[in-house]
Amino acid sequence: MFIARSEYDRGINTFSPEGRLFQVEYSLEAIKLGSTAIGVATGYGVIIGVEKRVTSPLLEASSVEKIVEIDRHLGCAMSGLQADARSMIEHARVEAQNHTFHYGEPLRVESATQAICDLALRFGEGADGEESIMSRPFGVALLIAGYDQDGPQLYHAEPSGTFYRYDAKAIGSGSEGAQAELQNEYHSSLTLAEAENLVLKTLKQVMEEKLDSKNVQLASVTREKGFRIYTDAEMTEVVSRLN
Amino acid sequence: MDALVSKYGGSELDDLSILEEDEDEVTSSLPQSVSFILPPIDSPAKFLRAMTDDHTNPSAPIKLKHGTTTLAFKYQGGVIVCTDSRATQGSWIASQTVKKVIEINPYLLGTMAGGAADCQYWLTYLGMECRLHQLRHKRLISVAAASKILANLVYSYKGMGLSMGTMLTGVGHGGVFGLYYVDSDGNRVEGNLFCVGSGQTFAYGVLDRGYKWDLTDEEALELGRRSILAATHRDAYSGGYLNLYHIQKDGWVHHGFDDTNPVFWKQKLEKGEFQNVSTTLD
Repeated sequence: MFIARSEYDRGINTFSPEGRLFQVEYSLEAIKLGSTAIGVATGYGVIIGVEKRVTSPLLEASSVEKIVEIDRHLGCAMSGLQADARSMIEHARVEAQNHTFHYGEPLRVESATQAICDLALRFGEGADGEESIMSRPFGVALLIAGYDQDGPQLYHAEPSGTFYRYDAKAIGSGSEGAQAELQNEYHSSLTLAEAENLVLKTLKQVMEEKLDSKNVQLASVTREKGFRIYTDAEMTEVVSRLN
Repeated sequence: MDALVSKYGGSELDDLSILEEDEDEVTSSLPQSVSFILPPIDSPAKFLRAMTDDHTNPSAPIKLKHGTTTLAFKYQGGVIVCTDSRATQGSWIASQTVKKVIEINPYLLGTMAGGAADCQYWLTYLGMECRLHQLRHKRLISVAAASKILANLVYSYKGMGLSMGTMLTGVGHGGVFGLYYVDSDGNRVEGNLFCVGSGQTFAYGVLDRGYKWDLTDEEALELGRRSILAATHRDAYSGGYLNLYHIQKDGWVHHGFDDTNPVFWKQKLEKGEFQNVSTTLD
């Protein structure tokens, strides 16, 4: 497989004769090394959940941050190179605030996703008038959960700059197994509590460690409460409900 | 502001190159979305002075909204903010229902004196910066930091015609109350008690007389209301409604937008104040 890719996988601005951009494709591989993240959209709100890899008992689990707030009505879960996600999220936050400042309304979920993806292709030398910010593609994928006038929505954004809306989506190392599980279990009338269970149950199946309230994190986006990361007490409660 | 314009609108600004340099510096330090372009004339500051300074030129075509009374003070139970609601353009009353307290977010309030648009725009902009600060640092911004953002911002536009005298007040991380006076000259002053606007002296008179740290919530609200009432009575450029807020540990609470007229008569008839005003027609 690597023989066919020789030479053409060096430059980030060169298509291979078959029409592929290998560095972009490799960046998708980087995500498959990351921890699993799952999102499930219901009619009541979106639940996103991530596996936290607590690699040492001396590691402060609360400092592993894989779910972050973008605005009151927007949040995202990440998988892949954490550091790359920081600049994408900063961009999304500024974009959300600028939108509210200029138009007096919250940024829509699709527009937020679009704003993040606009950043994804700004690697390489940079075209005229547009400053390049990275020398390589991002190595992180995001699950963007939000609530706007069209209701709760879940989007998946890739380093290639493409994005799709999903009812349920898994990314990261356990994504293949998890996605199959989601496909079997998802139905459009899930309640929020059922979505919490589905996310946790799916994570449990694909995680190497035994799932407990410390090595997973959930967050929800609902109309009433907006984006909210579950507290330790809430995590203990939902995890105990699962077992 | 007039003093400021005369200081910066002087002959040294006739040199266009200095001005252009200033402009570049100011606009480049701001996010693209909030930069603004100066008018293509020799000295924008001088031009603005000619257009707005009704002190030296009574027929100045643009009359800025200078008349106002606003006040804010700290006491043991938080911060009280109270303003009038009159907007004047010279001797003309343009509105009696202006909201001079700007709700920046659930924890921060800014008062409006000077140019209404300047206050409104930059305090809204400040709200955006405060929200970003909160997202980046996972805690509420302190009032000290928020007021510093505003003060640095207006200082970068010094001499270019911004007109605002605002009291920025609220509660920050850990329930710490803050009260700062920030104006378009670049002043930023912390304090327990401020009155701003053309009616400030009348408000100070009542406020200083009744102020003590240990005021109860009821007393504090009443003192704020009574101080603005005094100013609306004596200052022709202040009037309309009394807009009252109380800032507590968990954010601000609005305590009404009340017509001064019934409040005045209640004060006079029930408490026997304002004896100078006659109640008979003869």
